[in-house]
Amino acid sequence: MLDLGILWGPLLVVSLTLNLEAGYAGVPNFGKVMFVAGGAAIAGSVSGRLAALMLGIDTRGNYVGNVASIVSQANVGIANNPALTFQLFSIGVILAAAVGAGLGLIASYPAIRLREDYLGMLLLGAAQLFQILLGSYDPFIGGSQPIGVPDLFWWAPSGAGWRDLAALGIISSLACVVYLLSEKIARSPLGRTLRAVRDNEIAARSLGKDDVAIRRKVIVLASAISGIAGAMITFYYASVGAGTWDRIAYTFWPWVMVIIGGAANNLGVAMGSFSFAFALKGLNLVKFQFASIFPVDVNYLEYLLFASVLILILMFRPQGMVPEKSSLTLPPSEVGLIMQQGAVPVSPLDKDGRPLDNAKDPAN
Amino acid sequence: MDISYIWAWDTFGASFNHMVEAYVIGAIVYASLFGLMSLGLTLTYLTTKVPNFAYGSFVTVGMYVSYTFNILYKVSAYVSAPAAFLFGGCCSVAMYLIVLRTLAKRGSSLVSLMIATLAVDIGFLGIFGMYTDYFAARYRLVTAKVIYQFPDFDLWGLPGLFYVGPISLAIVSAVLFLLLTRTRFGVSMRASVENPNLARVLGINVERVYTFAWFLAGGFAALSGSYYILWLQGGIDAGSGLIVEIFAASVLGGLASIYGAMLGGLIVGASEVLVTTALVQNIAPWFSLYQKGIPLVIMIITLLILPEGLVSIDWIMVVRRRVSSALDLLESIVRSLRMR
Repeated sequence: MLDLGILWGPLLVVSLTLNLEAGYAGVPNFGKVMFVAGGAAIAGSVSGRLAALMLGIDTRGNYVGNVASIVSQANVGIANNPALTFQLFSIGVILAAAVGAGLGLIASYPAIRLREDYLGMLLLGAAQLFQILLGSYDPFIGGSQPIGVPDLFWWAPSGAGWRDLAALGIISSLACVVYLLSEKIARSPLGRTLRAVRDNEIAARSLGKDDVAIRRKVIVLASAISGIAGAMITFYYASVGAGTWDRIAYTFWPWVMVIIGGAANNLGVAMGSFSFAFALKGLNLVKFQFASIFPVDVNYLEYLLFASVLILILMFRPQGMVPEKSSLTLPPSEVGLIMQQGAVPVSPLDKDGRPLDNAKDPAN
Repeated sequence: MDISYIWAWDTFGASFNHMVEAYVIGAIVYASLFGLMSLGLTLTYLTTKVPNFAYGSFVTVGMYVSYTFNILYKVSAYVSAPAAFLFGGCCSVAMYLIVLRTLAKRGSSLVSLMIATLAVDIGFLGIFGMYTDYFAARYRLVTAKVIYQFPDFDLWGLPGLFYVGPISLAIVSAVLFLLLTRTRFGVSMRASVENPNLARVLGINVERVYTFAWFLAGGFAALSGSYYILWLQGGIDAGSGLIVEIFAASVLGGLASIYGAMLGGLIVGASEVLVTTALVQNIAPWFSLYQKGIPLVIMIITLLILPEGLVSIDWIMVVRRRVSSALDLLESIVRSLRMR
């Protein structure tokens, strides 16, 4: 059960940010993995070096080459030093957010100017390029081999599941914060503006909304949060490698969750990601029964199964589990009040929406 | 340092012609493979206006058809290439009919269609994984997950693909040109791509035309796949990795034109090898790790500067303008000389 939560948590966070970008702001992000991997890489790379620096561990000029021994020495130094742990954790998270935001800022330039299909290709390609760079530049995170990261969860009581529980606690709180933030955004005027920009950017622009700036802000925010999710994953597994961040796990799965759950709908995305994680775990459990019938690896069956499910859902229920609710307008009486206060020079309405007879024209 | 354009048959001990540099051979082979692949991708884009993220899977289909034939019947990839073509075409048509046409009929948005093609790609990955597991278990192979390069024949000291690649591309382009310009079906194909509604009004069965286009596209991909394993290692995710490079080629050429696709494919394929060689030989050997990044950089630059691709530039006007400004410069020089 615990690893269901560990699996679900970061994916939920990433899916919620994808929902913000693609569901609310209408920017299809086919390269989500890049932002998650960027945050994870910087967190993993910096926290180890910082720990070595602060604890005075000699890296002998080659961090990645000696990383195993450096990290084990660092773990000794970190244990029983909660202040340092907290510092390393927060610096890792802040840097991850910064890197995510930076990458998001860079990605926002083409994202706003290109059409959806070109944007999809660009982001997919950029994410692959990023993975190549991460995997080839050894001094950063060890290139093709994953490197260890200081274990910041030493304070969890030893014994089965405690570390997982601790990590789950932190990841769940992050997920809650992100969920509440997304809900707040969605129900605010900003959310309405986002949906307006998504549906018809020319109309939104004609009403004075700066669609470029709004979309850029949303992309930067979503990428920053994705980076934080990546950092969380790194700290939990206490290792980071270029191979973990493949297109399927962190670009495709979040899209599956958003579409199954219902785009532009945080509750839907949460339910979608939960059902998805649940199904994934369930499949893993029945894997052994399956292996006796077919000599195939269940992972591949998962891919085929989820791909088919996604396509079927796109065919038969494209709005997902929880469809998007249309934006409500204000009740007519309130609109009348606003008009009476002179905001709009038309005749005010009574509470049933009919024009008042003794209407005073505010324009006079 | 492992430079992946150095072909494997060299390790089988065959002698090769030292007169032609290794990177020239690599560039020509890559250029023809990419030309074939981007032809197909642009065909799928021209017809459905959806970038087909599953296209790489058809390349992998071709690889595995040739691999299967090789293991079962011990034939070379050249012999199984036509079978690969047919099978890849059928897979492509299946994807078009079952997934894309159904979703388009239900009015799916562009983003939903793109996600659907991504899903098909991952579904295919699952199928390849299961197929290779089953195949390896059935025929007691160590693994079918990685296909090592097949040995290639050599002619005058050069690998067979050096000849077959460009010749295939030339034949395919010639046939395509004749089809599109000289046959009624080809002309109706061009009409369906340019204006499907008007084509329908004229009685052309646009759906059938599109299905045929997708058959060709899948066939080209599978053909490239079966050639690919004569040159490089293959695997179940070889196609998924290639897809962004094929997109780079198509985007560079311009997604609106088949000739653009071929041009883009030739340029991207050749530059991947030539640029890597130039960097490795002149700057540092570790540049070879970034070989796969070169087409991606090309795509990013193209999308930012010239999203419609090379064919969107009116080259005649460019040349005319340059020539006229050069002539003006010459005239002013002559005039100033005469004044003296």
